[in-house]
Amino acid sequence: MFRIIKKSLKIGVVTGQYRRAEKPALPISRKLKDNAKLFKRSLAIREVDTGSCNACEMEMNALLNPVYDAERFGIHIAASPRHADALVVTGPVTVNMERALKDVHKQTPDPKIVIALGDCAIDCGMFKGSYAVTGPVERHIPVDIRIPGCPPRPAEILEALSELRKSPV
Amino acid sequence: MTEARPCDNLLKAAFPTILQGDTICGESSHFQVPKDLLPTITRYLHTQPNLRGRLTLIWACDHRPVRDTYGLHYLFTLDASHHWVVLSCELAGNDRRFPSITPHVHAAKWYEREIRDMFGLIPEGHPDLRRLVRHDHWPKGTHPLRKDFPWNRVLGRQQGAYHFRRIEGEGVFEVPVGPIHAGIIESGHFRFSVAGEPIMQLELRLFWKHRGVEKLFEEQTLIGAVPLAERVSGDTTVGHSLAYCQAVETLLDLQVPRRAKYLRALFLELERLYNHLGDIGAMCNDTAYALAHAHCGRMKERIMQLNDRLTGSRFLRGVIRVGGVTRDIENRQLTNLVDELNRIQQDFSEVGAIIFANASLTDRLETTGVLDEQTAWDHAVMGVVGRASGMDCDLRRDRPFAAYDELPVNVALYRYGDVRARLRVRGDEIHESIRLIREIRSKIPDGPVAIEPSCSPNPGDWTLSAVEGWRGEILYMVMAGEDGRIHRCKVRDPSFVNWPAIQWTVPGNIIPDFPLINKSFNLSYAGNDL
Repeated sequence: MFRIIKKSLKIGVVTGQYRRAEKPALPISRKLKDNAKLFKRSLAIREVDTGSCNACEMEMNALLNPVYDAERFGIHIAASPRHADALVVTGPVTVNMERALKDVHKQTPDPKIVIALGDCAIDCGMFKGSYAVTGPVERHIPVDIRIPGCPPRPAEILEALSELRKSPV
Repeated sequence: MTEARPCDNLLKAAFPTILQGDTICGESSHFQVPKDLLPTITRYLHTQPNLRGRLTLIWACDHRPVRDTYGLHYLFTLDASHHWVVLSCELAGNDRRFPSITPHVHAAKWYEREIRDMFGLIPEGHPDLRRLVRHDHWPKGTHPLRKDFPWNRVLGRQQGAYHFRRIEGEGVFEVPVGPIHAGIIESGHFRFSVAGEPIMQLELRLFWKHRGVEKLFEEQTLIGAVPLAERVSGDTTVGHSLAYCQAVETLLDLQVPRRAKYLRALFLELERLYNHLGDIGAMCNDTAYALAHAHCGRMKERIMQLNDRLTGSRFLRGVIRVGGVTRDIENRQLTNLVDELNRIQQDFSEVGAIIFANASLTDRLETTGVLDEQTAWDHAVMGVVGRASGMDCDLRRDRPFAAYDELPVNVALYRYGDVRARLRVRGDEIHESIRLIREIRSKIPDGPVAIEPSCSPNPGDWTLSAVEGWRGEILYMVMAGEDGRIHRCKVRDPSFVNWPAIQWTVPGNIIPDFPLINKSFNLSYAGNDL
């Protein structure tokens, strides 16, 4: 026990020790901010992987580590789409995942926000045109926010999410 | 031609009709084998006590339009000498059937199903011919890796259902999980059959994320396909791009400068470090030990930020190129890096002491998800998972690449094959990686970090390349096409081999332990599905 406390005291607080990101690359519309008002201090996210290379998943996971600690902004990960306010979709939509994505979207209660995370989700990236890919996320479900990057840094994801939570001026 | 090796002589004595071809790459022997002899020869290679060949890769290749044949190639790694034996056979004209070797060599199971899906070649005698890569809604007759299948074809849909193996009886329930899981992980489907708490059977249904990577390679040039290799599996960016570049360099006959080789080893070890740290944390998290998870997540983040500062990419993207590396790391930066890693090692030792002193954690990890040595051998399991089950293999030591010929590696080896052994392997490898980086710093020579490719390869030339990524052996087979393009590129992530083995570790465990077992394997879905 002593060892654990000693270690925690030695490390101290690491939250926030990262390079801040610039403003989100793609602006977030006023209408969307109005829609997001409901989720202001509590945003439950369900992550859906429709064919990413898993780098975007790793960065989403990094959001929950003590350095970024997205929970301090009220952002948490829901285990089921039925508990979610927002869907984060990564990767080009593959032929095999197309139906699962539509099902998840249907099962997420309204109002909801769909976030396309990473270049692949936005325009299929390197996999554009492949026989096994049916198109970007917005071909199948309406997308509200796009966070570009391959993969976007956790700071960029966090910046886009906090921009969403800011009240419209 | 190199001098005859004992294994070559053994094979030729046992099968006088086979023809020895030219050596393809490094330590290897190549044989042309008639198709009907395949099962006997592979069985001999696999079981002969002096050879004990481990099936490492099977790949097919459509030679049309040059020749009207399909090529089939079997790669075995011999147990003692780590020597490669490649067996090749050709299916001419309309012949689309080949004898399955799965009844004798269990590890061939998925490879042959994959070949059937991607090429429409039928492995006769295969015990399980359900679809693997193509899910059941894919139309009949779609075999994407055939040369007459356009890479950008839009697929139709048909009705179809996958038939899982069922266990029936009183009190037996099926629990379907996925393809979308509860955590932030990739997509895959697991079907459990349970009686009460314990799992009786697990069946995997993967390939949800099949993106057509191997077909996309065929649309690229040899030099230009590195970014695609990086995106096969995002967490193994360096491993995949390095394996791909090494293959292309062999084809182009490029001598990579020594400094670049050392830097490649450095990047590979950095990748191993952040992934192993993350895995140890995630395994602790799956036993609800959040403190260890937080500490490991913090250390992992430190290394990823270090990567970012060194190369401008948290995943070390864009650092490996054909002919070397894209950026030099100054010696001053290297010294800083080693200082930082020394601090992380100290940090990790302290956290490790906390983790391994925790009795309730040890209780969850020990005897959970045991993969015994025989099952591991039958599945030809490799990498971290193999080394936790007594499979003493590490390409960095066995078939040195990059600068590992001058960097001796101490291979971590455990025999229990449970979750704790896999955790211990990772812990040992973290210390070993930091030690290797220190050694790289002291041994790295000065000089250029890249060489420009000058010639182009002959169409039809092919080669194999292997890299010990953090998960295990990554294999690339690259065959050159016309005008510096790729005719065929076979990608084999270690996940493809280790996934089937996971099904044998869960029976008898309870469902709540499955996430823990899965995490201790931590296999890539993307690298498996391609």
